[in-house]
Amino acid sequence: MIAALAVGMGAATAAQADGVIILNSEEASYSIVSRTARTELGRQPLGREPHHMIVTPDGKEILIASTVTNELVALDAKTGEKKRVVRDIIDPYQLGYSPNGAWFVTAAYRLDHIDVYHGDSFKLASRIFMDGMPSHMAFDAESKTVFVTLQQSGRVTAIDLGTQLIKWNAEIGKAPAGAVMLPDNKRLLVALTGEDAIVTMDASNGAVIGRLQTGRGAHNFWPKGDGRHWFLSNRVEGTVSLIDTAEMKVVGSVRIPGGPDCMDITPDGKELWVTQRFLRRVAIVDIAQMKVIGSVHVGKSPHGVFILRGTGSGLPPPPSPLRAASIEGDRK
Amino acid sequence: MRDLIDLWIGIQTWLFETFVSPVLFHFNLMEWFEPGFNAVEIFMLGVVQITIIVLGMRMLERRWPLEADGDERLVGVDRVYTILSKLGIVPLIVFIVAYPITTQVELLVRTWGFVPPRLERLVPWLYDNALASFLVYFALYDFAAYWVHRAQHRFSWWWALHSLHHSQRRMTVWSDDRNHILDDLLVTIVLVVFAQFVGVQPDDYILILVIGRLIESWSHANVDMSFGRIGQKLIVGPRFHRLHHALAGPDETHIHDHNFAPVLPIWDILFGTAIYDGKHRPTGVSDPAIDADNGRSWPAQQVTVFGRFVRALAPRFSRSSVQPGLRPPAE
Ligand SMILES: [Zn+2]
Repeated sequence: MIAALAVGMGAATAAQADGVIILNSEEASYSIVSRTARTELGRQPLGREPHHMIVTPDGKEILIASTVTNELVALDAKTGEKKRVVRDIIDPYQLGYSPNGAWFVTAAYRLDHIDVYHGDSFKLASRIFMDGMPSHMAFDAESKTVFVTLQQSGRVTAIDLGTQLIKWNAEIGKAPAGAVMLPDNKRLLVALTGEDAIVTMDASNGAVIGRLQTGRGAHNFWPKGDGRHWFLSNRVEGTVSLIDTAEMKVVGSVRIPGGPDCMDITPDGKELWVTQRFLRRVAIVDIAQMKVIGSVHVGKSPHGVFILRGTGSGLPPPPSPLRAASIEGDRK
Repeated sequence: MRDLIDLWIGIQTWLFETFVSPVLFHFNLMEWFEPGFNAVEIFMLGVVQITIIVLGMRMLERRWPLEADGDERLVGVDRVYTILSKLGIVPLIVFIVAYPITTQVELLVRTWGFVPPRLERLVPWLYDNALASFLVYFALYDFAAYWVHRAQHRFSWWWALHSLHHSQRRMTVWSDDRNHILDDLLVTIVLVVFAQFVGVQPDDYILILVIGRLIESWSHANVDMSFGRIGQKLIVGPRFHRLHHALAGPDETHIHDHNFAPVLPIWDILFGTAIYDGKHRPTGVSDPAIDADNGRSWPAQQVTVFGRFVRALAPRFSRSSVQPGLRPPAE
């Protein structure tokens, strides 16, 4: 609050090739941070209560979902330049594309519905009303099913994308949030924010087949990129766990104070960026050492984070198909 | 400045993680995680406000009192109101009751596809000027609060509640929060819905409340001060607002139906309800049934004023003590 006056809404600052986009959910803006200089370059106004963003299937744009203004703001995924606004997407809290790009799905957290759109046109195929605060989502590899967690009712639901009918709806525990479909396309991991664990579900029928203790407020996943390890933010505990999904055990942990939430990895795979909602910062973790090596001031309640895949800054080869799929499917 | 903000957020995070977060987690109220964090800031701002009242405003009151003698015992209950209100206890109760109502309104309107307008869309220049944008929203909010205040005086059932605020004979910097909890609830619902419609950001909303209420605390001070010849036309000070609390006399039966503005006197000037005569008048309400609030404790006031409200709504419950015609005045 005081920060809003102190910092002011930054002067128009163009994103650079090494830019990182951070959504300041309670400030109606996004910050542009220099990845290498680890400092905020500026702030751009954006809708109201922007929480999450994803890349389009062609990798060209980032879609930022502004929940209260019912719109998606598209930025150039390389430069961060504002490209266009897609309107009449109602309360887009979470959003995702099916791996084949045919379906675009949004979860209206406040208005309690899940919307399935045709991926090429944003034409609404079906609106499925579903009580209990739909929040995060994951897709199966064949782009046939979307799995949506219902944070308030403690459930996870699976929706057939072709028919938009509910396949199953299972109660699994307190406040399920982040969801990820593992590469075997059989196991669905779901984080329980009201508990201190994640559960493994059988994606075909919603049965809970495993449970792994992580930290209080287990919330959100991000792939390490090797198809085996996933990061998990534990919001209440204030940690990020590294999970080996082959062994199903926690193989690393790092303390991130201030309600850690969304994550992204630098294209070289060396740094994990984690938003610290309460501290108005983004923490930078050295993945090899699982140690915080930096922290950047941004706006109020920073939620989504996206590292621009810019060119001309010594970036590694493009992400593997597996990683690309997980970017599309699991970006929370 | 950045260090100060970091310190503030650091304290807020510590308080939240130590006291609030474990409770929310235990009772599976994780959807209140972010709002709970913001509530801690409201509490902290309350502590700051009380500190300013005690160390700043009270000093000025003691140094230059307008009414040097008077019954100090009447002030005690107002202190209770201020502490309950500023530390978030009354606001929490109000929030728990008002939230389902205001949320229902918000969601209904959003389901219709209505997007609250942001002034910045009409005046893009405001995007780059946080202060100007804040001031515009502040003025809009104050405008709405002015009309809510006029309604509090206009409708007999609402005056039954609001007269508690006016019944204080010994007006001080503590008097601003002296309101019936139902009155707080009604005002909150109206102003929150208004704020949603015009698109006040939640963050601005808190700041509007904090700054506004601090100025209002000062405008109740027992001093004969204003913000100067021009300043008194821009911001409500004690001299301006004291007239609003003036005891109605035979010559001035509607004196308290003036100077309604919470913070910006412009509304009274525009709508013809401003009086700047600088005269000293005693404060309070002449109706003996209302004047009887003085000397009552917080719970006793809450109960008796609720009774007054019920009788105003349904006159058949009325006892002889409320004489029709004494209140309310026509505006
Ligand atoms: Zn009044």
